[in-house]
Amino acid sequence: MRKRNLFIVLTGLTLSFPFMGMSQTWDVPADQKEVVAPFKFTPGIQKQGEQIYSKNCHSCHGNPGKNDWAKLTPPPGDLSAVKAQQQTDGEWFYKITTGKAPMPEFRNVLSEDERWWVVAFLRSFNPGYIQPEPVAKKVFTGRVVTLNLTFDSTQKQVIVKAYDMLQDKRKAPAAGVEVELLVKRYFGNLTMGSPVTTNTQGIAKFTFPGDLPAQRDGFSELVARVLDPKGLMQTTPDTLRIAAGKSNDQPSLLETRAWWSVRSKAPVWIILTYTLSVLIVWGFIIYILLSMVKIYKSGKLK
Amino acid sequence: MAEKDFTLEKITGDLTHHIRLNKGFLAWMGFLTISLLVCLYAYSLQLKNGLGVAGIRDYVSWGMYLSNFVFFVASSLIGMLISAFLGLIGMKWITPLTRIAETIAVAFAAVAGLVIVSDMGRPERLANVFIYARFQSPILWDVTVITTYFVLSLLLLFLPMIADLAIIQRKVTTLPAWLRTVYKVLSLNYRDTPEQNRIIHRSIRILLILIIPAALSIHTVTSWLFAVTSRAGWDSTIFGPYFVSGAFVAGTAAVILAMFFFRKNYKLSDYLTDLHFNNMGKVLATVSLVYLYFNLNEFLVPGYKLKRADAVHLHELLAGKDALLFWFVQIGGLLLPILFMLFRRFRKPVPITIIAVAVLIAAWFKRYLIVIPTQEHPFLPIQHIPENFLHYTPTLTETLISIAPFLLVLIIITLILKFFPVIPLQETAKEKGVEPFIFD
Ligand code: HEC
Repeated sequence: MRKRNLFIVLTGLTLSFPFMGMSQTWDVPADQKEVVAPFKFTPGIQKQGEQIYSKNCHSCHGNPGKNDWAKLTPPPGDLSAVKAQQQTDGEWFYKITTGKAPMPEFRNVLSEDERWWVVAFLRSFNPGYIQPEPVAKKVFTGRVVTLNLTFDSTQKQVIVKAYDMLQDKRKAPAAGVEVELLVKRYFGNLTMGSPVTTNTQGIAKFTFPGDLPAQRDGFSELVARVLDPKGLMQTTPDTLRIAAGKSNDQPSLLETRAWWSVRSKAPVWIILTYTLSVLIVWGFIIYILLSMVKIYKSGKLK
Repeated sequence: MAEKDFTLEKITGDLTHHIRLNKGFLAWMGFLTISLLVCLYAYSLQLKNGLGVAGIRDYVSWGMYLSNFVFFVASSLIGMLISAFLGLIGMKWITPLTRIAETIAVAFAAVAGLVIVSDMGRPERLANVFIYARFQSPILWDVTVITTYFVLSLLLLFLPMIADLAIIQRKVTTLPAWLRTVYKVLSLNYRDTPEQNRIIHRSIRILLILIIPAALSIHTVTSWLFAVTSRAGWDSTIFGPYFVSGAFVAGTAAVILAMFFFRKNYKLSDYLTDLHFNNMGKVLATVSLVYLYFNLNEFLVPGYKLKRADAVHLHELLAGKDALLFWFVQIGGLLLPILFMLFRRFRKPVPITIIAVAVLIAAWFKRYLIVIPTQEHPFLPIQHIPENFLHYTPTLTETLISIAPFLLVLIIITLILKFFPVIPLQETAKEKGVEPFIFD
């Protein structure tokens, strides 16, 4: 009995070895499978989907129908193939939205409409496909807020005005909206100070710090956006380029010779040490090779 | 055996009789070749499907391939220790070991370069390492010194062998004609003239001196590939000497193993005597003690300060997930061998060979412990990743690909020491004081 158990374990181990690193199945929640597109897949939409596909998916999935997907584990597969086409639109939409390594998630990369466009494009390779009746998205009833950024250069103040967009396309000052201000840096955006809540006129003011280094051209790029962690509003941020900030005369990191720089900016002493060492040692090696020729020649019987 | 029993005939016969195509050799080579083909098939899978067939992922991106690389570079250092270091300080007993040591150096250094290729996702872009080389990058230094060390070792294997080749070509009459032509070409018209001897002697001198800094740099630079990062377990100022001393331990064990094998199979017990095993035992004890000293520094000092990341790393090694392997390596591969080597009776051929095997296995796992655990303990928390990114588990394909370099090394060593005398002929004859060879 014990022997048999051991045998089973061992065979199990051996068999599972090659599959290590392979994927588990990709489960889609039942309610997500039923999701359908909010519009009809017209040829125009499919054309738009093709553009999204060639920009975002082609590098891995290749040309539909050509089986030329990228060599990844697990394989991305051809999306026009039967196996992929058997899935519902909802399943596809869910997979594109959430991703599964190495397939990236497109939640924040493509808008919902754009994701549906790709689905539409991929369905164009399936002549037997009949689109389920589209279900329009529920109309959004929450607050729709847009921001407007201005800079008061005498006061060194950044002024953010928030507007509620009303049903009848009118604008009204949006009070009580939490706004944050960011400035663009080399890597990502830097938050400036704490968030400010707009007053009854829908205005939030930020003081622009005088010692903040500007970009090389003397400008600073600002971004204002609404803080809405619960996602209750539809908001549009605003950006502004202003001639403000401490002028930046620091040399670029890549201007001086340094360890971290590119080859042409290597420190001279490293280039010299490396080259000299190689030359000296290989000089001796060549000398020895020539000596071997000498041994050969001097041994020839006269 | 008394010195006077050695005659020129006996030495020539004893040291060259293994140069023939016997069944054992063919069977062994057949076994190695078939195994290698299996491993190459595994590699073809990796070429086709990408590095994803191995267990390496984003966090642990250096797996067995890199441990292998460090191990191979380490083992190749022994050529320098035996021929150059012990030779230059005047140790006479090393003569019969020099060729074994140099062969090991050549084989491991040659294959070390290939091992790195196994870790490349796009090996066809290898040339870019040179085309876009940055002088500031330790990777360029590593590629440079390993190539240089390989060439130096090859020359140091070849030059002292020239006289032997001339002797084989003249004395071993049983060889097929074409093989004798090969020996003739390789022996560079050697006829024992004073000028030829002077050139050879001077060239060997230069090589012996050059190979010391070259050997030290190959392993120091390899250690820098790790030590120039600030990762816990790699961020160390003594990584260079730590690696070099560890390399001597692995290399000494490899030489002992080879000595035992060739002594038995090629019937060389008159030349590779108990004295040589005894002395190699002392060498093993010495280098192991030095290595122990560096190990103590490497673990005690960070363990005393216990900086946050070091604490996690050390805990996993000493008492956590990697503890079993860690203590096997430290006790089985270092402490016990030192202890055993203190006693003469364990420095006899059989016990010392068994110990050398343990040391070599431990040496490989030591490299594994240097390379992998550090990567499992990054500074930033690991988040939002698939389960199999968390811990490194080698796959079968990866294991086969990692075995290939060992087979290659064995093939190279087998071939070199099959067709060239394992023990230097002319030097041995000189040392035993028999009458000189006549080169007509
Ligand atoms: C980085 C490579 C990569 C990119 C880019 C990529 N995918 Fe994928 N995709 C994969 C991989 C790999 C799989 C297989 C995952 C699995 O089976 O675990 C996959 C699976 C899928 C599946 C599920 C197929 C099935 O049979 O279950 C769909 C649908 C899909 N991708 C659509 C897309 C779309 C649409 C895009 C572009 C918006 C895209 N992928 C971009 C790699 C990628």
